[in-house]
Amino acid sequence: MEYLLQSILNGILAGCIYALFAMGLTLIYGVLNFVNFAHGELIMWGAYFLYLLMEKPIGLPLFLAFIPALLFTTILGLGTDHFIFRPLRQANRLTLLIASLGLSFLLRNGAQFFWGAEIRTYGFEIRRGMRFWGVSITSNQVAIIIVSVVCVALLYLLFYKSRLGKSMRAVSDSLELSRVVGINSKKTIRFTWVIASILAGLGGILLALDTNLQPGMGLINLVKAFAATLLGGVGNLWGALLGGMVIGLVENLGVLVISPGYKDAIAFGIMILMLLLRPMVLLGSKE
Amino acid sequence: MDLFLHLCIMILIYIIFALSLNLELGYTGLFNFGHVAFFGMGAYASALFTLHHVPFELALLISLAIAGGGGFLLSLPSLRLRGDYFGIATLGFGEIIRIIFQNEVWLTKGPMGLPGISKPTLFSYRFTTLPQYFILALVFSILSFFILRMVIRSPFGRVLRAIREDEIATEALGKNVFRFRVKSFVTGSILAGLAGALWGHYTTFISPSDFTLSETILVLLIVVLGGKGTEWGPVLGAILLIFFQESLRFLRLPAEYTRYLAPLQQMIFGTLLILLMIFRPEGILREKGKTKNVGIETGQ
Repeated sequence: MEYLLQSILNGILAGCIYALFAMGLTLIYGVLNFVNFAHGELIMWGAYFLYLLMEKPIGLPLFLAFIPALLFTTILGLGTDHFIFRPLRQANRLTLLIASLGLSFLLRNGAQFFWGAEIRTYGFEIRRGMRFWGVSITSNQVAIIIVSVVCVALLYLLFYKSRLGKSMRAVSDSLELSRVVGINSKKTIRFTWVIASILAGLGGILLALDTNLQPGMGLINLVKAFAATLLGGVGNLWGALLGGMVIGLVENLGVLVISPGYKDAIAFGIMILMLLLRPMVLLGSKE
Repeated sequence: MDLFLHLCIMILIYIIFALSLNLELGYTGLFNFGHVAFFGMGAYASALFTLHHVPFELALLISLAIAGGGGFLLSLPSLRLRGDYFGIATLGFGEIIRIIFQNEVWLTKGPMGLPGISKPTLFSYRFTTLPQYFILALVFSILSFFILRMVIRSPFGRVLRAIREDEIATEALGKNVFRFRVKSFVTGSILAGLAGALWGHYTTFISPSDFTLSETILVLLIVVLGGKGTEWGPVLGAILLIFFQESLRFLRLPAEYTRYLAPLQQMIFGTLLILLMIFRPEGILREKGKTKNVGIETGQ
């Protein structure tokens, strides 16, 4: 019973992180109408930027380092848009996809170039978690939940209570029409990248705090984020949140049944299942 | 001379691999980003069967069937998806296959890999030396090239290109788009399996880390650089890129720099892909009948 409760808690924690990834991915998809394969690399670089700032020679403490780390991630996200995706706005889908795949590869190997392929951590001592009803939770994990809830609340306010959120929704409905009514689409697109990058960077940092860092962490989480967006309906922000939670829970409950070596395969299994069960929803939800 | 033959064999194997992706990506407009999965399936299946003393001819046929069957099973759910979702689904599939190679230790020896794969024997003729293997690879790549050319120039190939250009119009002409796509995907998977099997028997050692996304990126770059949707594009791309990659391997670098070499090479590949997409998305060779700014709009 305690084992089950612990698995559910772990599932919620993983779900929070996946939800942050999936919401960023789906935001970019909604506004620019393509799947950014390099989103996973924003996650990974977010975590590595923090590593860079916390290690020697800089050696900032965590609470000081995470803001510049997020800032760097945002600059990276905006930079990729400015130099790669902006010139390709009018290009066809395949071109965009291959460019983003190439970018993802470039960024992943860039991290490997600087830090090597080995697994790293932020070097915190492993502390005993607090125990409630036989379930253990560390302070980092409490932070995961708090940060995710705050992010979702802020996103809600932004999306539905602010002018900028309104224009983001308009641009994602139709780029041309939103231009016609005088929305500054360039500014809106830039702003979307800022939010998606911050979500990715935060998620990456939280994930790395809870587990570890390695250059491959982006790709595998991209697949999970994508599975989550499929589950929730592509382009749907709250669907992505829900989908992320479901993926996290199923993964962590699934390892009770199957070999942990296949934990990363579960998200893919869910994805295939979704495609088989409700292909129409996935095919035409935006049109 | 040995170096040159090694280079030629690698190029020939990658030509087969690239031709198979070109059928899917270039002619049918399928964004297969997990093509390495079928390469790996072919390599593992052929290696495992010959290691269990199945004759090479039979092992090769079985491995092609496994790669093709895998392609068929994947295509049924994933080909229902629009272009970019199909891309992610295949990308995920590629990773899953690698995870399977890594975890099914009883079968694949997991991360340890499979050593001692025998050189092939075809009709009691053993292809052991480099020149012999070169001839084998040459025969298979020429065969693949002409089979694919026949397929592409046939009415079947015309339908594939029609699907790539306009799915709805092709459907309206009474063609079952889904079925044509499945056929194209399965054919591509079988040929990728062939390339994988040839590669496995050539290097005589395979492990899960040989079948990562980097392989997919490499073959994608070969097709895109050479010119997707052209007969000679993948051949040209394979010659250029494999020459570049393999010659880097023989650079005499001090040991402390070799750690940087692999990521650096991959970074160059990634950058090349991005630059190509921005400045010349059609590749070096341009498909006939396509003018500069007319892109292919698929899956919309």
